[in-house]
Amino acid sequence: MAIITLPYKYLERLTRTDKKTILDKVALIGSDVERIEEDHADVEFFPDRPDLFSPEGVARAMRGFLGIETGLPAYPVKPSGISFSVDPDLANIRPVLGAAVIRGVKFDDESIQSIMSLQESLHWAVGRGRSKVAIGIHDLDTVKPPFRYIASPRSRKFIPLDYTEEMTMDEILERHPKGRDYARIVRDFPLFPLIVDKDDHVLSFPPIINGERTRVTIDTKNILLDTTGTDKRAVGVAVNIICTAMAEAGAKIESIGIGGVQTPTLAPSERTVSVKECSRLLGIELTPVQMAELLGRMRFGAEPAGAAQVKVRVPCYRADVMHDWDIFEDVAIAYGYDKIMDPPPATFTVGKPHPVQVYAALAREAFCGLGYLEVMPFTLTSEEILYKKMRRPEREGVLHVMHPISIDNTVVRTDLLPLLLEFLTLNRHREIPQRLFTVGDVVDSCHTYQQAAGVSTHMDADFSEAYAAADAVLHELSIASTVKESEDPAFIGGRRADIMVNGNRIGIFGEIHPAVLNAFELEHPVAAFEFDLRAVPGYPEL
Amino acid sequence: MAELTQNEKRLLATLVKEHKADAPHLATLLDTTPESIVQWAHLLEDKGLVSLERIVDKSFVYTDEGKEYLNHGLPETQLLKFCRNTTPLDELRKHAAFRIGFGQLRKKGLISVHNGMVSRTDGASTIEDETALKTPLAGGQRTNELIRRGILQEKESVRNSVTIKPEGLALAQQGLDMREETGTLTRDQILSGAWKTLNLRRYDATKLPKKVYPGKIHPYQRIIAEMREILLEMGFEELYGGIVQQSFWNFDALFQPQDHPAREMQDTFYLRETLPLPPGYEKVKAMHESGGETSSTGWGGVWTEEKAEQCVLRTHTTSVSIQHLAKNPNPPVKAFCIGRVYRRETIDTTHLAEFEQLEGIVMDEGVTFGNLLGILREFYHRMGFEGVRFKPSYYPYTEPSLDAEVFVEGIGWIEMGGAGVFREEVTAPLGINYPVLAWGLGVSRIAMLRLGLKDLRYLHRSDVAFLRETPALRPAKGGI
Repeated sequence: MAIITLPYKYLERLTRTDKKTILDKVALIGSDVERIEEDHADVEFFPDRPDLFSPEGVARAMRGFLGIETGLPAYPVKPSGISFSVDPDLANIRPVLGAAVIRGVKFDDESIQSIMSLQESLHWAVGRGRSKVAIGIHDLDTVKPPFRYIASPRSRKFIPLDYTEEMTMDEILERHPKGRDYARIVRDFPLFPLIVDKDDHVLSFPPIINGERTRVTIDTKNILLDTTGTDKRAVGVAVNIICTAMAEAGAKIESIGIGGVQTPTLAPSERTVSVKECSRLLGIELTPVQMAELLGRMRFGAEPAGAAQVKVRVPCYRADVMHDWDIFEDVAIAYGYDKIMDPPPATFTVGKPHPVQVYAALAREAFCGLGYLEVMPFTLTSEEILYKKMRRPEREGVLHVMHPISIDNTVVRTDLLPLLLEFLTLNRHREIPQRLFTVGDVVDSCHTYQQAAGVSTHMDADFSEAYAAADAVLHELSIASTVKESEDPAFIGGRRADIMVNGNRIGIFGEIHPAVLNAFELEHPVAAFEFDLRAVPGYPEL
Repeated sequence: MAELTQNEKRLLATLVKEHKADAPHLATLLDTTPESIVQWAHLLEDKGLVSLERIVDKSFVYTDEGKEYLNHGLPETQLLKFCRNTTPLDELRKHAAFRIGFGQLRKKGLISVHNGMVSRTDGASTIEDETALKTPLAGGQRTNELIRRGILQEKESVRNSVTIKPEGLALAQQGLDMREETGTLTRDQILSGAWKTLNLRRYDATKLPKKVYPGKIHPYQRIIAEMREILLEMGFEELYGGIVQQSFWNFDALFQPQDHPAREMQDTFYLRETLPLPPGYEKVKAMHESGGETSSTGWGGVWTEEKAEQCVLRTHTTSVSIQHLAKNPNPPVKAFCIGRVYRRETIDTTHLAEFEQLEGIVMDEGVTFGNLLGILREFYHRMGFEGVRFKPSYYPYTEPSLDAEVFVEGIGWIEMGGAGVFREEVTAPLGINYPVLAWGLGVSRIAMLRLGLKDLRYLHRSDVAFLRETPALRPAKGGI
C-alpha cells in the first residue's frame, strides 16, 4: 500500500486552504489517514489512484472536492526541440520509452523528497517492482542532447549513482545494492538497456540505476525524465503523473521527440457517458448538468451533451479510468456515499441454508450432548503433526503449499484427529476429563469435504468409551454403519475399529496408541474417533 | 442460624452432658472415629456453638540403641567406669564401648589424653546424662542431645478437646430434632410413601459443589452462526465451496490482472496442482487483454492460460460466489458464504494466514449501489451496530467500491469490510447481465472485539479453560 507523507505547509499552500479542512475530508475521496504528526500527516491511498501519490496530486484533487478549483486542470506543453532515439535491438528487452523535459523546478529538501517518494510509489503501483515501468530523473544541464536509448554490451562501464568508481553493468548487478535487488528483470538478456547522451555519457541503466553524473540536487533547475518499460500504457501514465505533479509545483513541461512523435502531450482522453446508466448504477436520479457539476469537482472536464449524455474529458493522469463505471464511481464520491439512503433491494427471496452446514450443525449438537467442547483448529498444519506423530503414512491426496511461511504450516489438513491431539497437548495443564470435538473442512487433493472428530482424555478413557461415543454421534446422524477390526497404527492393536458403510471405510474409533501419546507428550489415555460426514444419508454431492 | 446435620446435633447433645471432652472419648460415646468428631466439631465451631482446642502432647520413645543403653548405661558411662585414674589408650581401645564412648568423653571434657595415657578429670561423671535418658521429659538440653544421637525419638500426639459454648447450650435447650437423616432419596422411599416421615438432609446452598462443564460450541462458531442466522433471515441462500480454487476463479474471473501484486507468491499460497479451464474462458481472456465487447479498455498485455490453471488456497470466498453466479445467471440471486480464506501473511497477534470471511452477493434486475448501502446498513444494524458509515475504497473487481465502518462505544469508528458493484469486466464474460452487489467482512475482527481477545491465534489454539468459562450468551452492547 502507498502511504504518502503530506507536509502541512506545502499542502496548505498548494490546496489554498487550512490543513483541518483537508484532513477532515481527505478520507472521502478514498484514503485512510494513518498518522497525524506535528508537521505532516501520513495518508494511505489506493493502488488504482497513483495520481494521488504526491502532495501535489492530493492538493489538485482536494481543491476540486472542496470546490476551490474545479474542472479539468490545464497543462500546456511546448516542444523542447530535444530528440530521443530508441534502438530497435531493445524490442525484446525493454522496448517502451517515455520522456519529458521539466524546466524551472525550485527544489528544497521537501520537494526533492516528495518527487523521490512519488517515483518509488509509482515503481511499486504502476511499475510492478520496476519490471513493467522504471523511472529515471536527471539533471538536464549535466548532459547534452540528443539522447539515445540503446541495447548495450554488458561490459560497458560507468559510475553508478552513490559510487565513485566505474563498474561494468555486469558488476553493477553483482555489487550495487540496486543491482542485486532488480537483477532478475534483465539478467537473462545478452544486451542491457542503456541511456546515453550526445557525447556517450551514461544517464541511466534502466531499470536498475542512474549514473552518478546526472544526480539531481537541490540546485537542479531543469530535469530530464526517462521512463522505460514493457507496457506502453503504463509507461505513459507514469510520465503523465510525474509531469503533472511537477507542473502543479510550478514547473514548465516540454515535450521530446521520440521516433518523430512529440511526447508527452498531457492531453485528456474523451468519453461520452450515459446519465441514465449512471443513475441506474448508483440509484440516484441525476440530470446531465448535475452530473457534469459533480464530475467537475473530481477534476474531470465535463459538459452536458444533449438531454441524456455527458461528455467527459479524463485527465491524462487518471490511470484508473478503464470503463464508464469508473467515471460513475467518481460521481458517487462527489455526491457523498453517506447521502445515498436507499433501502435494501425489494425483491422477495427466501433464506436457504446449505445442507453441508445443516449437517455440520447437527453433528455439533450430537457432540455437545455428549459433553464434548468444540475447538476450531487451523487447517494449515505440518506432516509432522498429521502423519509422523500419528505413526501414519503420508496420504496421497495431501496438498503441499509451494512457499510455506513456516515449518508448522506446510500442508492442508487431511484429517482432524491429529489436530485434536495437538489441542490436548496445548491444554495438558487444564483439568481432566477433557472432551473435545471439531467439525470442519479437510482436503483430498483439490477436493474439499467435511469430517467430524472427537477425543476424550482422562484416567479411564478406553476403547469402550470411544465406541459408545462414536456410535451415539453416528446414530444421531442416521449413519447406518458396521465395524471391522482396524489396522490404523495411530491406535492400539485390538482396541481399534474401522467404521464401515456399504463396504467403504468412512471412519475410525479406538484407543490412541501409547507411542502416539508419547509423541504428543500426553499423560493420560485418549479415546478418539473421526468420520467422513459424506456418509450422512442425503448429503449433497460437492 | 445455619442448619445442623444429624451428626452435628448428636455431638451437640452429647456435649450438653459432657460439657468438655476429648475427641476419642466423644468418639466412643457416639460410636464413631475421633476424626469424624473433629470434623463435626469444626462445623459446629463455624456456627459459633462449640470451641475446638487442639492440644499437642509430647512423649519420647527409645530406639533399639536407646533400649540397650537404658539397661547397660550410655557408652560413655560404661567406658568411664572402666577408666582408672590413668589408663593406657590401647587398653581402653579393647573395651566394646570405646568407639562411641571415647568420643563422647572427650567432647564432654571428662577425660584428657597425654602421651598415650588417658586420665579422668576431677569429678568426672555422666550421671546427668543417665538421668536424662531415664526421664527424658525433664532432661532439657541433654534430652535433645540424646535425640540427636538417635537414642531417643520425640513423638507428638495431637488431642482435640471440644467445649460447648453458651450459644450451643442455648440451642440444645430449645430442643434438637434428633430423627435419623436421609441423604439420597431411594426408589422404595418414593414408592412406599416413606418419604412423608423422612428427615431429608439439608444442604448448605452457599457452598458450590465441584464444577461441571457443559459440552458446547465454540464462542467463535456462535458468532458465525449469528451472522448466518441474520443472512438467512434477510432471505439469502447459503453457499459452500472448496478451499482449493483455480487461479481462474480466484483471480482471473474477478478481473484481477495476472501481474497484480496480490497474485504474487509472497501473498498467496500456491499449489503445484492445476485444473483445466472451464469452457468459455476465452471471453475472460479477451476481457483482460482488450475489454471484450464492453466500454472497457481491459488491462492490455498478454493473458496466459498457464497462470489461470494453477490452483491456490482461496484468498477470498468471492471465488465461490462468482462460480455460483456463473452457474445461475438468472435473477434474482441472493447468496452468502462464510468460509476460511488464506493469505500468505506472517502470523502475529492480529494477522493469521487463515481466517473466516463472510461474503454476500445480490444479483437482480435494477439493483443499485444505493441498495448495496441499504443492505449493509441493515446487516450491521442487525449485528447490533447503531452507527454505520461508508467511504470510497478500491477493489479490483468492484466499481464503485467502498469500505464500511461501524461505531463502537469506547473505541470509535472501526473498519469492518469492503463492498461494491461487480465490474462489467467481471460479469459480462460470464454471461451475467444484471448488476451484482457484493460485500465482505472479516468475521474474526468482530470475534476479537466481542470476545475481548488480544491475540487472534487464540480463536484456533484456544485454552480449554477459556472455552469452558465463556458463556453461551454474552449480552452484546452496541454490537460488541
